[in-house]
Amino acid sequence: MSEAGSTQPAERRLSLLVTVLAFALPVVFVLVPLAIFLGYSFFSVDQGTIVYDLSLGNYVRFFTDPVFLPVFWNTIVLCVSVAIICILLAYPAAYFLTTLKGRWRYALLMLLLVPLLMSYVIKIYAIRSILGLNGFLNKALVALGILQEPSTLFVFNMNAILLTLTLLLIPFAILPIFLSLERIPQVLLRASDDLGASGSQTFLRITLPLSLPGVASAASFVFVLAIGDFLTPQMVGGISGFTFGRILYSQFGTAYNWPFGAALSVALAVVVIAAILVGERFGRNRGTSV
Amino acid sequence: MSAPPRLSTIFLAAITTLVAVLLYSPLFVPIVSSFFTISHGSVDWSSPTLSTYVALAENHDILVALRTTLIVGVCTVILSVVSGTLLALYYHGRRSGRSLLQFIIFLPFLMPPIISGLALLIFFREIGLERSLLTVVIGHTVFVLAIVYRTVLMRLQSMSRTLVEASYDLGATGWQTFWRITLPNLSSAMVGGAILAFALSFDETMITILVTGTQSTLPVRLWAMMRLGFSPDINALVALILMFTVLLCALAARFLIPRQVATERS
Repeated sequence: MSEAGSTQPAERRLSLLVTVLAFALPVVFVLVPLAIFLGYSFFSVDQGTIVYDLSLGNYVRFFTDPVFLPVFWNTIVLCVSVAIICILLAYPAAYFLTTLKGRWRYALLMLLLVPLLMSYVIKIYAIRSILGLNGFLNKALVALGILQEPSTLFVFNMNAILLTLTLLLIPFAILPIFLSLERIPQVLLRASDDLGASGSQTFLRITLPLSLPGVASAASFVFVLAIGDFLTPQMVGGISGFTFGRILYSQFGTAYNWPFGAALSVALAVVVIAAILVGERFGRNRGTSV
Repeated sequence: MSAPPRLSTIFLAAITTLVAVLLYSPLFVPIVSSFFTISHGSVDWSSPTLSTYVALAENHDILVALRTTLIVGVCTVILSVVSGTLLALYYHGRRSGRSLLQFIIFLPFLMPPIISGLALLIFFREIGLERSLLTVVIGHTVFVLAIVYRTVLMRLQSMSRTLVEASYDLGATGWQTFWRITLPNLSSAMVGGAILAFALSFDETMITILVTGTQSTLPVRLWAMMRLGFSPDINALVALILMFTVLLCALAARFLIPRQVATERS
């Protein structure tokens, strides 16, 4: 396409069209909606109609109202907890995968990723029925003698959201950790072994530090996916499990305050961007320079 | 690599088994209930039945929602593959402005869907576009575009430049080179990207809830039904959807993986 001599008029017109599209598509369908959205956060609502006057009222309300900041903070803590539990479960599993040989390694990896393909809504529903009063979890705990009688501890509260999000998001933690573990050069492990290090010394001094970028990416993935989810808390959270995503969603439904919802989204976006940047900063693979 | 001590291997295998059980339990419940009756948390293994599948075939609401989902999926695939390929061809080999625009393309995929969905909702309202299947298709396309773009771009980058140069040397025009050399080499990446786009569109729930009009896709329909509890035929649907998506992704892997491995080796 760079041969200027062979370019025909039709081709030139086409390439102009492609150039325009290449810039227009992302700008019109991504940048403009986000910009309008940001603009909305400075508007307000008066008796069901949107007032197009710029003010910082929504942000002042977010920071001063006693409701929003605590929920915001609790949701962040919840999603950090989800990320930590996911990593605690995913790291050993990913490590186990890398100890397997060839075909088995990838077969098992696929096996652990397949649940991602299942309908999200159905999984939430199934998990709720497992956690519920008559669910399998209570049955198992009673049968094992851990509980005297079925408990409502696992459904319609914050625990339920924590457990459900963890189950839904584990695969997103397994993949980046597996990839970073797999990228560690085997020669380093052999060298450590040759120099007389024990298995646990090699793990703590070589494997673990070199796999931390994968852990950082995993944490950032899981956190971002967890904090943006409003379906799970809506479905398993009940009345006490109130998260930021639910408050945000309600501004566009029952509360009908789009501008305030937009301001809440900006707060959410700030946290998400920070998480992505942290993940990016620590998740970058430094092993390539070795 | 030296064999790790036995105890730690057992521990790792145990955790991995636990993770697999945790991941599969939410799949297991509906699939088992599609063949057996479950009451009060225990399964009646004695009488397997296909009645749920028969009931599913008569559930009009679900079938309509399924059809809507397929229509949205196909439209999304066509739009995203065409525009994703165009964008990849355009940005491949171009440095100026690429990283910024690439970042914009990736934004809807990185941002929580609630933000992308709400931004589009307000955008459609401001330009006076009624919420309908069209807005759903636009929402899905914006969401999956990054995947198709990246898949095609990676294939372009791994494609040997010499093929295109040879074509020019033999006197082919830019247009001929594109149709006879570039496009055939991209086709498997495009098919793979299309399948991934379809799979994502098929299960997209959060953006769809926000931008859909009166017609609902399957996940939105299920979401609405879930508040009241599901009828048993939904379990049959779940089993079928899982089979279908696993097949679809096996297909995507076939199109995306073998060629790349082959080019790496050669």
